[in-house]
Amino acid sequence: MAQTDLVRTAGASQGAPDPAAFRRAVGPGAFITSWRNFLFIIVGLAALAYGWRVTQVDFVSLVVNLPKSERIFTGLLQPDVVARVTETSSVQAPLQVGGVAAGQPSTSGIPGGGTLTVSPSPVQPGAQLTIEVSGARANSDLNLLLVDNVGTARPIRRNEKTDAGGNYTLSFALPTSVSTGGYQVRAEIATATGAWRFSETFLTALDKMVETIFLALMGTFFALLVSVPLSFLGARNLMQGSTLGWTVYYCVRMLFNVLRSIETLILAVVMAVVVGLGPFAGVMAIVIHSIGAMGKLYSESIESIDPGPIEAIMATGANRLQVVLYAVLPQVVPQFLSFTMYRWDINVRLSTVIGLVGGGGIGYVLIQYINLLQWNQAATALWLIGIVVIAMDYASAVIREKLV
Amino acid sequence: MLRIQNLTKVFPGGVTAVDNISLTVPDGEFLVIIGLSGSGKSTLLRCINRLVEPTSGRIWLDDVELTALAPAELREARKRIGMIFQQFNLVKRSSVMTNVLAGRLGSVSPMQSLIGRFPRGDYDRAYANLERVGIPEKANQRADTLSGGQQQRVAIARALMQEPSLMLADEPVASLDPATSHSVMKYLEEINRQDGITVICNLHFLSLARRYATRVIALKAGQIVFDGLPAEIDEERFRAIYGEDAVEVEIR
Repeated sequence: MAQTDLVRTAGASQGAPDPAAFRRAVGPGAFITSWRNFLFIIVGLAALAYGWRVTQVDFVSLVVNLPKSERIFTGLLQPDVVARVTETSSVQAPLQVGGVAAGQPSTSGIPGGGTLTVSPSPVQPGAQLTIEVSGARANSDLNLLLVDNVGTARPIRRNEKTDAGGNYTLSFALPTSVSTGGYQVRAEIATATGAWRFSETFLTALDKMVETIFLALMGTFFALLVSVPLSFLGARNLMQGSTLGWTVYYCVRMLFNVLRSIETLILAVVMAVVVGLGPFAGVMAIVIHSIGAMGKLYSESIESIDPGPIEAIMATGANRLQVVLYAVLPQVVPQFLSFTMYRWDINVRLSTVIGLVGGGGIGYVLIQYINLLQWNQAATALWLIGIVVIAMDYASAVIREKLV
Repeated sequence: MLRIQNLTKVFPGGVTAVDNISLTVPDGEFLVIIGLSGSGKSTLLRCINRLVEPTSGRIWLDDVELTALAPAELREARKRIGMIFQQFNLVKRSSVMTNVLAGRLGSVSPMQSLIGRFPRGDYDRAYANLERVGIPEKANQRADTLSGGQQQRVAIARALMQEPSLMLADEPVASLDPATSHSVMKYLEEINRQDGITVICNLHFLSLARRYATRVIALKAGQIVFDGLPAEIDEERFRAIYGEDAVEVEIR
């Protein structure tokens, strides 16, 4: 019976509506053939055209000028992480400029081996002067300086190299501008010992990265202290039933939404004005934003709990606080921990950016490197941020999985 | 003795769940309420301890008018009314012991319960009640590690902690298999017979009502359509309660 009915309805015969009624375009065609939709399309295109103009879209420039970014990208690929360990030794030999007779060469021993010889001494301004380093460390960087009797040093030669035997000889005419008097010729020899160590940049960035992680931690912690109690007042299932309850619920939810909607960067700028540049401004910016974000998540997780235990605990004659402690809290604690973990993770990411506007942390050194066009150094900070963010993301995911 | 007078509950959507019911339950009775889903059984039960606020009508437990109590007095009155549920309503992440002790929350000082401490006597009593429902060895296990029947027994132990004079059971065996159903019903029967606790129990299965009830009432669309002994429900009455097409399913 039922089957026959079905067949009859599906068939085109027997009092079926006019087939013309079904004869309209289907699929994408149906959308365009309507006049109203056509109008929508016109308005949409106009909006895109205006947007194109005001945002100064210029894809040609994007492609043509791409090579300009080459320095940045090559810099990013060569982060300043390690440097060779160098041993520096310095030695001075006296030199008398001006004076009477040609004298003896002046010789000094170099700590760690070798000698520095300056000849002749005294020397006349404009005359030939020979500086000889012998038996020092091989293949080392060498700087030669002329130091006058008040201690002012001026360079003679920079970034010279000793040869494989540790020898170096320089003969040059002493400029006539050098006035007569007693001088010292100083040789600075820097040798790479072959060992590597972390560069100054890396250590600074690492230090600031740790600061960033703890900045996020403190921000999350203070926000936790405020948002957990508030979240109970912002949970519909706990607050319903009385006018006062609803009022509190709406006020708390409104507060969460307002706090959540203020961008942390703006908060950081404001806080930097209030408490001064530095990490604490960043902490406060994170606290304010996170109260809203965490409070909302907590409230929603309270709203999603099983109402059964609440009913059961209420039926025993327990008061409101006891119901929260014995029926609500045990159900939400794992989720609260998980959300807090997640928020910390987000806040680490946020605090890298907060540093850019003076909120302390690694962003603060990053923006300095960028402003000085030190791309290798900037790369160090960027890579470090990337690694830490990925690691935190992974760790928080693993921990959250265990909790819930 | 429980007296219900002209009790009506209309939900905000306009659905009348309980329609002008009057009922007297003498002490020591094992009253089973039967009826289709949506006939108002659960609402009637929840109106008694005011988990659901009645729209109109009055309820007395002995000489206390439950429907007239202020919140603090209501909490006091609830201590005398135990309740168990279809979904057991244990706090799943808490231990069995904590769940059972929760039955004392109305009686311990709020400060003590705040730090999770109960009087020593309560621990002993909780253990005794777990022994009574046959699962003392589960005391330190998490509640969600127990089977459905065991969880319902924990719920009974929790309700017994209140030392109630009235026990409300909202479809206590609807989520359980037939064998477990009987074991749970037997515990309810035992506390009814031995402790003299009045039991009001919602049930789906008429066979269980016949086996355990001393009195049966049947609800249909929020009204009482039968009130009498379990044996009096014959084929004709059954059809009147459950509808013309209904066929009785036995649970043995």
